[in-house]
Amino acid sequence: MKYQQELKDSIRKALPDLDVVIAWSGGFDPLHATPHFIRREEDIDKLEIGPFSVHNLATYLPGLRGKKVGIVVKGCDSRSVIELLQENLINRDDVTIFGFPCTGVVDQSKIRKALGHTGKVDFCQITSQTVVVGAGGEEHKLRLSKVLADKCFTCQYPNALISDHFVGEKINPSAQSEAGYDDLEAFENMPLAERFAFWQKEMDRCIRCYACRNACPMCVCRDHCLAESRDPHWLSQEDNVRDKWMFQLIHAYHLAGRCTECGECQRACPMDIPLLLLKKKMNKEIKELFQYEAGVDPEATPPLLSFKMEEENIKEREW
Amino acid sequence: MAKVQFIKAADVKPWLAELAKEHRVFAPSYDGEALLFRPFDPAREIVLDRAATMPPKKTVFPQSEQLVDFTYSKDPEDLSRIKIDARETLPSGSTVVFGSRPCDVRGFTMFDRVYLTEKTTDIYYKARRDNTLFITLACASIENTCFCNWVDSDPCDSTGSDVLAIPVSGGYLLETVTDRGGKLLSSKLLVDGESKKEEAEKFCEEVAGALGAARDLSQAPEKLLAVFDNMEFWDEVSAKCLSCGACTYLCPSCYCFNITDETIGMKGKRLRSWDNCMSAQFTMEASGHNPRPTKAHRLKNRVGHKFSYYPAIHGGVTSCCGCGRCIKSCPAGIDIREIVLKAIDFKPAAVEE
Amino acid sequence: MPVLKDKELRIVGFLCNWCSYGGADTAGVGRFNQPTDLRIIRVPCSGRIDPLFIMKTLLNGADGVLVSGCHPRDCHYAEGNFYARRRLEVLHRFLPILGIEPGRFEYTWVSASEGQRWQQVVTRFTEQIHKLGPAPKIAGPAASATLRQMEAAL
Repeated sequence: MKYQQELKDSIRKALPDLDVVIAWSGGFDPLHATPHFIRREEDIDKLEIGPFSVHNLATYLPGLRGKKVGIVVKGCDSRSVIELLQENLINRDDVTIFGFPCTGVVDQSKIRKALGHTGKVDFCQITSQTVVVGAGGEEHKLRLSKVLADKCFTCQYPNALISDHFVGEKINPSAQSEAGYDDLEAFENMPLAERFAFWQKEMDRCIRCYACRNACPMCVCRDHCLAESRDPHWLSQEDNVRDKWMFQLIHAYHLAGRCTECGECQRACPMDIPLLLLKKKMNKEIKELFQYEAGVDPEATPPLLSFKMEEENIKEREW
Repeated sequence: MAKVQFIKAADVKPWLAELAKEHRVFAPSYDGEALLFRPFDPAREIVLDRAATMPPKKTVFPQSEQLVDFTYSKDPEDLSRIKIDARETLPSGSTVVFGSRPCDVRGFTMFDRVYLTEKTTDIYYKARRDNTLFITLACASIENTCFCNWVDSDPCDSTGSDVLAIPVSGGYLLETVTDRGGKLLSSKLLVDGESKKEEAEKFCEEVAGALGAARDLSQAPEKLLAVFDNMEFWDEVSAKCLSCGACTYLCPSCYCFNITDETIGMKGKRLRSWDNCMSAQFTMEASGHNPRPTKAHRLKNRVGHKFSYYPAIHGGVTSCCGCGRCIKSCPAGIDIREIVLKAIDFKPAAVEE
Repeated sequence: MPVLKDKELRIVGFLCNWCSYGGADTAGVGRFNQPTDLRIIRVPCSGRIDPLFIMKTLLNGADGVLVSGCHPRDCHYAEGNFYARRRLEVLHRFLPILGIEPGRFEYTWVSASEGQRWQQVVTRFTEQIHKLGPAPKIAGPAASATLRQMEAAL
């Protein structure tokens, strides 16, 4: 990533006034990055940004309330920061935002598939077009565009929407917003019974680890989630599709009008359940009904927290 | 080496079909993008060239199981008197798990030391454990996250298994590990495997070599206790933890559970379901006090339990089998190896007088 | 147990205390004929209805859910039903992705004086649900156990 050095310099300058700066560093193998908490000058050297910077670091912000925190954000991550600001869950004065022009991050599932699911990765070289991976004793040359996360193909906000320090030149979004819901529309063209069966099958393998919830920057109840509440007793402890599915609906509903489609729920899922589909559907309807997109304007009010006496897009059904 | 037999790769499915007449058979196949141990189905492809996303933990320790069935009934003469009729619901039938990995199965031996002791026996666990047989497949492919050799194991370890299958040219060499495992090897599809023994031995040597040098963890129990009260250490290593349960639920050696009663009206059932020490509710007390209030306390427990407290009471055995799933599936990329090594290498700052 | 076993479907109604519950009462007092599939749950206001109540009802095996509140601008609490309208509309549009017919859930407004209108609403909604037939059940023994328990409770 060409702006890495510039970013490091910028963080170095700001660090004396901050308790911690959250960024990314190399992970357990050359194909993975990991969130990196910079507390001391020497931690800065480890910082790495690039196509493996998949994690939405905004998830950590509410837990660090009261501290002076710096955070490095991709465009999509910045929307989560805005949404947190909008809901007064973080204090703008306590957060220093470092932005950079993001050219897309990878989808680890796609890479895993392309490499034939090998877990033995020796090296990885990335250029602007290709990813060359040495894995399982072979060299794989992958087109970057084949392994980017789906969200990147329809990204409207490659630059942080809010930042205190922006490194590099802002870039133009390369995607059409209309294309964003193609997968959803394809899914909705399936017959109802098939859609119903699809979720039964997908939810069956859920292990209720709640990685989807905990990785979600907007799931701010943290240790007080109703999924684990005994009173009211929303969910049982049984291992059945109904309770697992119900939780996903709870998640989708609690994010209605707040979800920024960062896709962390789906990325975090160890069982690869396509959870983002539910969130995208919710967002699409919210957009159509209220012309609202979450995480764009810190001053806006989420649509389900407000109303109009006469709703333009809600037709009263005749009974 | 005990009696060895050989099975052609193409005969694996027919063999499993034979076994499925008598037992519930589980084998790894894909469910979406996840590779899971699923009930044997001749129509489904069995995938053996990589470790499964989930270990076969559920076969012996289900995600949620019913322990007791109960019904309340009121005395018609005196409505304040309520009778409870409760019945144990013990699992029955036998299960064969095919294609589990040495690390996966070795995990159950960590359970055994806790659930099957001289003092207490968990009857539900025992009912399943005694009736579940493992045909374990030695690992042909080592991943970046593998570290079984750090925790006294190796890719051909048969600890806890009933039969060990070792990949050889054209198929698998089947080695009897336990007597009950030997009984599974009576199929006509199997032939004598003596001639392949040498090849199998060579395979095990090679694959063990591929793991690389093991790090010495003998100091871990002591060193982890030394940093027990150093919350700054734990705050730092847990900073990126999201407090989800992926690591614990995917772990072949994590055995903690929760017990809840699910009641509707006058009927109910008592369930035992997986619980995870990463959750705030794990140690939440009825008073509202939580002795492990932050994720740092919780991660400390997970690492400490596996690499220090468990070995301390179970003859030095580390309660981690080195499968690496917690590393691979952690949404935040936490590496348990890194934490243990950090604790071992940790030098307390000189105390200023 | 239901009188018309096997002929009735399970429809759950969430009605606000101030208007629709009163409307249903008016219909009863007026002795208007109504289908008997609906089981009513009274809530203080349509704004009290968490869309997840409806979701859970459907997942637990109900064949239809009807929500009714005060007419917009008539809410006893001034604006409860305005919020409800947004939430319920979103829910109505969300259901198809789950593979649930959106027609299994409807929301409407009935005032306390509209006994006749209540009769029409119930009749039409019940007909609509009967046209859709019993809802697809979620696989697994747990769902059927719940259904048995629900049956016993009703």
